[in-house]
Amino acid sequence: MAFTSFNFLVFVAVIVAAYYLTPIKGRWMTLLAASYAFYLISSPKTFIFVIFTTVITFFGGRYIGQQNDEQKAYLAEHKDEMSRDDKKALKAEVQKRKRKMVALILIANFGVLAILKYFKTYIELAFAAIGGVQLELGILIPLGISFYTFQSAAYILDLYRSKISHDTNIAKFALFMSFFPQIIQGPIARHDQLAAQLYEGHKFSYENFTFGMQLILWGFFKKLIIADRVAILTSEVFENYTDYAGGVVFVALLFYTIQIYADFSGGIDIARGVAQMMGIEMSHNFMRPYFSESLSEFWRRWHMSLSFWTRDYIFYSIALSKFFGKLGKDMRKILGDRVGKLVPVIIAQYATFITIGLWHGAEFKYVAYGLYNGTVIVLALLLEPYFKKTLEKLHINTESKFWKLFQIVRTFFIVVFGRMFAKAMSFSAALYMYGAMFRPDMGGGFSETILTLGLTNIDFYIILFGCIVWFILSLIQERGGDKDNTYIRKKMAEMALPLRWIILLAGFACVLVLGVYGPGYDAAAFIYRGF
Amino acid sequence: MKETILEILTDIRGDIDFEEETALIDDGLLESLDIVAIVGEFNEEFDVEISVEDLLPENFNSVDAMVELITKAQE
Repeated sequence: MAFTSFNFLVFVAVIVAAYYLTPIKGRWMTLLAASYAFYLISSPKTFIFVIFTTVITFFGGRYIGQQNDEQKAYLAEHKDEMSRDDKKALKAEVQKRKRKMVALILIANFGVLAILKYFKTYIELAFAAIGGVQLELGILIPLGISFYTFQSAAYILDLYRSKISHDTNIAKFALFMSFFPQIIQGPIARHDQLAAQLYEGHKFSYENFTFGMQLILWGFFKKLIIADRVAILTSEVFENYTDYAGGVVFVALLFYTIQIYADFSGGIDIARGVAQMMGIEMSHNFMRPYFSESLSEFWRRWHMSLSFWTRDYIFYSIALSKFFGKLGKDMRKILGDRVGKLVPVIIAQYATFITIGLWHGAEFKYVAYGLYNGTVIVLALLLEPYFKKTLEKLHINTESKFWKLFQIVRTFFIVVFGRMFAKAMSFSAALYMYGAMFRPDMGGGFSETILTLGLTNIDFYIILFGCIVWFILSLIQERGGDKDNTYIRKKMAEMALPLRWIILLAGFACVLVLGVYGPGYDAAAFIYRGF
Repeated sequence: MKETILEILTDIRGDIDFEEETALIDDGLLESLDIVAIVGEFNEEFDVEISVEDLLPENFNSVDAMVELITKAQE
């Protein structure tokens, strides 16, 4: 069931009504029933995999949580009798037990992910080759498998680090693992941020209800007016890439940068809006990323739930580990103080970005996408002192508005060019298209060719209109220091009622009239639904 | 200890007023690279083992929180 389908809207309306009609203590049960119904309708054949991950993560988590509790209780009881070494020994022993369980759960969960998402074809081929067995691992990848697997890993690792307490009710935990607005494309939630909100019942609040609906409307605006329209051009060029060269390729790449942001952030807005209608605040995933002044800042503002996941569980795990700490020290003797110190950070940075790349899929183009981003950030890190010196020599005021604008534009194009790897049909197609971009077009002329890609003149104006509205709103949010993406909605709430309704109805009319509706009025599938 | 911590912090990020700020992590002032550098320096200077488990925002939000973290780690 796609977010943009009519069925989904009906489903949401029924569930929100059912939520508020259920007695407050039982509201989480309505959410669980709704989430499982949503999964069974959308992806019935793969339901078993969600159950598997839920069950083993719950029981594994309970074991780790109990180890934490017992250690804490023992230390409190025997505080005075134990020496520092005794305490250390106890902690080490408990940690060893916890570590074994963490390894078991992570291998099981990521194993399923790896088999179904990355090695499915290879395993089927291997079975066919060995015994002629026609093995079918299922045509469908379980809906949201990357999202719920990463979420379960965060839960287990947070327990291992004693950051949270374990869940004691498996039915409630099942809701945390399958909450329907977020199962399709995230955001990847943390237990301490979301679980309690799901379990407690929320009273109806006019503000949450209307803010939620406004966010959904805005999500539809981005998805149906911008993303799905731009997609017509990008699909044509990227799928038939040998037919195009010159400016058209660049426009397709630029349009893809718009498409992926409108598509993904639109979907997230719809998900967050649905949750907010029931008083549930899901974490942010985007903070106006295209205003970033550097690529590393971009990654703190783009798909934040994934980049913070990789930061907390991959980057820090490597950069702060004893092994890499020692390596850094050894390297200081060889490479000098500054670069030596950076060695663990560089390794951690690459591991982080390769994970982000692989998160999208197993193809090499995704690894290349990760390596591209990692390399730009590592180079910026290594060359930082030289950049500083050059800027000083050239007397460039790094605090000036002009310089900040330059940095934003520069970062934007670094992002645009990197996206080629993620979007092109393959790694070699990406290289081909980079080359094609700098060749003259195929003879049709830019202004003629651009109108043969499925979009009319009017479509380009609508895209421009949508992007201008989006840009102005983003600028207002940015200037207002909006940290939780509520600035605009709060400002609107202060407006006179007629004005507010005019704006909302205009937005609604725009989506209805300007939205791209395919055959049968089913909009294009969300890009991140596939991950 | 506080003086040494302030020295280390200012060395890594001279642009932040560490004596005043109380939401270094929550406000996103310190980045992951700064955190790695800070932990590295703390471990070396104070001979402690601050690890990834201690990376809670409340341990790094202010200088006083960091003093507490190191004192605990030394116990």
